[in-house]
Amino acid sequence: MTREITLSRAVNEAIAEEMRRDPSIILLGEDVAEAGTPFKVLSGLVEEFGTDRIIDTPISEPGFMGIAVGAAMTGLRPIVDLMFGDFLYLVMDQLCNQAAKTHYMSGGKLNVPLVLRTNMGATRRSAAQHSQSLQALVAHIPGLKVAMPSSAYEAKGLMKTAIRDNNPVVIFEDKLMYNDKAPVPEEEYLIPFGQAHIKREGRDVTLVATSSMVQVAEAAADTLAKEGISAEIIDPRTIVPLDEETILRSVRKTSRAIVIDEGHQSYGVTAEIAARISEKAFYHLDAPVIRMGAMDVPVPFSPALEDITVPNAAGVADNARKICRGELIHAA
Amino acid sequence: MPHEVIMPALGMAQDSGQLLAWHKKPGEAVAAGDVLFEVETDKAAMEVEAQKAGYLTDVSAEAGSDVPVGQVIAMISETPEGSGEPGNGPTPEKTTDTAEPSPSGAEAGEDELPDGHQVIMPTLGMAQDTGLLVAWCKQPGDAVAADDILFEVETDKSTVEVNAGRDGFVAALLAEAGEDVPVGQAIAVISAQKPDKPVSRKAAGAPATTAGETAPELQEKAEPVNTPAPSPEKRLAAKTAPGVAGRVLASPKARRLAQEQGLDLQRLADAGHPQPFHVKDLETLKTLRAETPAASATAQRFEVRAEVKGTAFTEFATWARESGGQGDEAALLAGFAAASCGNLPSKVRVETMRQPKTYSASSLWLGQVAPADDEPEADLVVRDLRASRISSVQLEADRCPVISILRNGEGFTLVLEWPGGRLTTPQAIDLLSNFAGRMEQPLRHLL
Repeated sequence: MTREITLSRAVNEAIAEEMRRDPSIILLGEDVAEAGTPFKVLSGLVEEFGTDRIIDTPISEPGFMGIAVGAAMTGLRPIVDLMFGDFLYLVMDQLCNQAAKTHYMSGGKLNVPLVLRTNMGATRRSAAQHSQSLQALVAHIPGLKVAMPSSAYEAKGLMKTAIRDNNPVVIFEDKLMYNDKAPVPEEEYLIPFGQAHIKREGRDVTLVATSSMVQVAEAAADTLAKEGISAEIIDPRTIVPLDEETILRSVRKTSRAIVIDEGHQSYGVTAEIAARISEKAFYHLDAPVIRMGAMDVPVPFSPALEDITVPNAAGVADNARKICRGELIHAA
Repeated sequence: MPHEVIMPALGMAQDSGQLLAWHKKPGEAVAAGDVLFEVETDKAAMEVEAQKAGYLTDVSAEAGSDVPVGQVIAMISETPEGSGEPGNGPTPEKTTDTAEPSPSGAEAGEDELPDGHQVIMPTLGMAQDTGLLVAWCKQPGDAVAADDILFEVETDKSTVEVNAGRDGFVAALLAEAGEDVPVGQAIAVISAQKPDKPVSRKAAGAPATTAGETAPELQEKAEPVNTPAPSPEKRLAAKTAPGVAGRVLASPKARRLAQEQGLDLQRLADAGHPQPFHVKDLETLKTLRAETPAASATAQRFEVRAEVKGTAFTEFATWARESGGQGDEAALLAGFAAASCGNLPSKVRVETMRQPKTYSASSLWLGQVAPADDEPEADLVVRDLRASRISSVQLEADRCPVISILRNGEGFTLVLEWPGGRLTTPQAIDLLSNFAGRMEQPLRHLL
């Protein structure tokens, strides 16, 4: 049985189900208990699990992140709620130097079964310090897994897998998608990491899109379909580990690829995936691989400006059209 | 004897060069190797050196003027006064000196070459060191016009026909077909007078007879070079296409598929097809391949077959021998074949079991089919195998189309084979249909 639920509800269900299953799971962060987070994702959890397991912390990200890493090393399975992805900068040492490296540096004696759930996504008029999409920052660090759900279905399945993972996982939810509904099974299911989802099959161009960019790709594909261009959409679901094989198989078929992610374009997720395609499917490419990320500027507060800094469907369709026609793109 | 100074061809698709400046004044003494003048092409400005010591005279091009490649712009004379005739069109006598002995002087003492204009192996590609001489189109002693095709060269990219560049006579052929000759080396001499003893020899082992290493810059490469089927549009495009420096823009996949299928993307570039090339452009390249003969296509061999019923030709031959005054059956075949080509006059070589005979047919009138055995190059070969028991052929590709006549019951089987590029499919079908029609009903020819 499936029903349509919001992404917010899906995350809530995943955490509740796992906390019922495993008493060692705790959740901590700012405004998680009484407020249920500013986005109301965690509403009702404190009523069921109490303040011992759903813990409101002081406003000190390095503090509660450090607590969580220590708790994870010593037997608990903490879920850390980081209110905005932009606050990742505050927890870098705890996350990248401690959580990511402890298993390796302890010779495998210690595990850090920790989930850092946070968010990303611009166009919410939240200005430059609350609108960033910083997945590339953590994906760069060996020892961290990075999940990017693109709908309620993925959000639930990936969260449950993340909680059961014995190593640190960072999950980025797009804060503009909390109220988006999608069919989600009543029955329990998990989505394994490193398995991309072919969201739509196509023959002319592969659109590799993460998180909310999958919706952008779908809208672009609809436009392109009317023009006779058949786009295939691949949602990697986790960027670490990355399901390279599904992406490469698709590109070998279509000979063209556009990679779309909401992080800044330079040195970003799109760059990494595009580079792998160029390296490993080079002789199958009939056009340059195109990256589409956010402009390399701080996210503007002005709505008119903010909207044009992130990839949109018209832009994706435009690039797809160009490479399918064989126009000279980015060529010196 | 004064030495001509010409506007050199410095680029692949260069028609003219802008004379930027003279570095010597008229009447001034020059030594071989002195910078004589500067030329600007579409790519670069280059300094051109004097090939010979003497006095700069008869300067006919001013600095700043655009001069067609190959035009004489000055003379290097033995006296400061010069010849008195400013560099007008070159005459064959005056060109003798264009080829200086190489610095080593290796040529001295070797067999003397006839006087005349030396034709060199041209540079047809950017990184070309040698050219494979595919064939001579003229024989020693032949009269040639400047526009006549003198020889064919194969480079790594294509086969190119090269014009004589001068009117005159073939006084010497200094390389044989099949030889790989260094670029810039003299391979022929064209003389003004009909030579008494034309020279013909191999290039291998022969001393370099041109101005050594500087030859590619300063030689008579001015001769127009004809690719087999250049349309004006294609020539233009070759100039404007990107990647003149030899770089073709193509997608990795297009390159891979082209390589797998043995297609040369450069040909698409030469044809002026817009770059970058993608997989879909390979379809265009394939069509191009069928239309234009190229090095790869000449190696290919095509054939069509026809059946001729009845004994009409045998009867016709008997009648011609007994009443028509034409006792040579081979001449009849030659006449029929020539007429079937549709482009009289043509030279047809008929190979019977005994010996080949070449005929020249200048009209449809069979009586005018004359033996022309001094013409080794034929337009068409008729291989008459009726007297043999051979029932099928697929022989080594000849340089020209070959019609084999095989016995088949009372009638014949006709097989037309041709190397790629020599005939188009419609031409081949026309040729064999016409020939088969004449063989089946010889009276058609007379009517």
